[in-house]
Amino acid sequence: MKKIIAFLLILGFASSSCEPDDICDPNTPTTPRMLIQFFDISNPSLKKNVTNLKVIGEGMTDGVVLTPTGIDEAKYVTNENNVLLPLKTDADVVKYKFILNYGNKNPLLVNEDNLEFKYTRENAYVSRACGFKTIFNLDLNNPFTLTDSSTSDGKWIQYAIVAQNNITYENETIIKIFF
Amino acid sequence: MKQSLKYSFSFCFLLSLLFVQAQEKTTTSTQQDVKITETKSTATAKKNTEKKSKTVQTDTLKPKTDRYGLIVGVDINKIARSLYDSDYKGIAFTGDYRLTKKYYLYGEIGNENVTIDDPQLNTTSKGSYLKVGFDYNGYTNWLDMENMITVGMRYGFSTFSEQLNSYEIYNPHPYFGQSPSIPSEETYNGLTASWAEVAAGINVKVFNNIYVGFSLQLKMLVTNSEPGNFENLYIPGFNRTYDGNFGAGFNYTVSYFIPIYKKKVAPTKTAPKKK
Repeated sequence: MKKIIAFLLILGFASSSCEPDDICDPNTPTTPRMLIQFFDISNPSLKKNVTNLKVIGEGMTDGVVLTPTGIDEAKYVTNENNVLLPLKTDADVVKYKFILNYGNKNPLLVNEDNLEFKYTRENAYVSRACGFKTIFNLDLNNPFTLTDSSTSDGKWIQYAIVAQNNITYENETIIKIFF
Repeated sequence: MKQSLKYSFSFCFLLSLLFVQAQEKTTTSTQQDVKITETKSTATAKKNTEKKSKTVQTDTLKPKTDRYGLIVGVDINKIARSLYDSDYKGIAFTGDYRLTKKYYLYGEIGNENVTIDDPQLNTTSKGSYLKVGFDYNGYTNWLDMENMITVGMRYGFSTFSEQLNSYEIYNPHPYFGQSPSIPSEETYNGLTASWAEVAAGINVKVFNNIYVGFSLQLKMLVTNSEPGNFENLYIPGFNRTYDGNFGAGFNYTVSYFIPIYKKKVAPTKTAPKKK
């Protein structure tokens, strides 16, 4: 009888220790950002680093955090050869300002281009803890529109192509920008 | 934490019931004697003569009879939760039919309607379930005690539907702000699941033919029809699903024993008497 009660106690504690795992693991692939790679226009197979690139979404005041380790203003600019940009989960279009040489003392070097991305969205189930994620598909006919800024300083982006239309994972290059 | 508190409380309560039972021992036996003599006069008359002859045969040893029948119970945990939890409606009936001295045929039938509010999801599962299996009573009863400490195996089937009421999109980089909860009316009908479970429980006879008991179950999903682009988060009868196939359950029952026939168990007696 004591043995059975002990067994029941263990069983009870075992079942009550199955605590709800309601926290979404950050390593779970959820709503992805769009990976943009920068290449050298004169040598298209070569990746090229940008200089002090800041990317601001239309209607936003702060830029996208491109360097998470940076402090204050430094986290909004990057000198790498790629950026990860979030897309809107409640709209099928997003417009970004790409500002090269942001904060440069020589205003002639600062160049702003606009890129507008069109896509379709699909909500996919992930798990109990994470809920759903949104995956995107860039519009096949008109995935992006490149325009110059209102200051007409010329486009620094020479050429851009779509490497892949479906945005599911953050490690797959979606857009290639040549400059 | 809440769960373990609930279990420990129930456990203490049941242990206290055991003590009550131990103290009442003498009174219950006399009550039964009184009942026998009072109610079934013709049967008792026959019985008394039998008893006399037997007592002559076996000296002071009183012949022990095991009562066989059906213990039907209702899961009061589900009923109580239906009253205080507005997101839950459930009922379950259990049945233990005594096959042999130690083995019982077990059946359970129930219906549940549960709304679960997870941080990212709000779903409603509703459906019915059926469990069939057996219980082994490992408790050796003294005299005319009829308590049970059981270990059992069951197989459960459930048919249910799941409705996604609302969901949220997990966006680890909410640059444009976190999108609000999205209402949904998506219903997944005709879902089925089946599972095997191991159960351990106590069933204590608190007074004449009334039992109070509880059982804990560990379950393992065998089949589970998952809806497309979603998941079965709660299966009626199986309860909440976890990442693996395992689940757990808890029953708190009040049952009534319906006696059907009696068997004598004294070692000297050979022919079991049916009534």
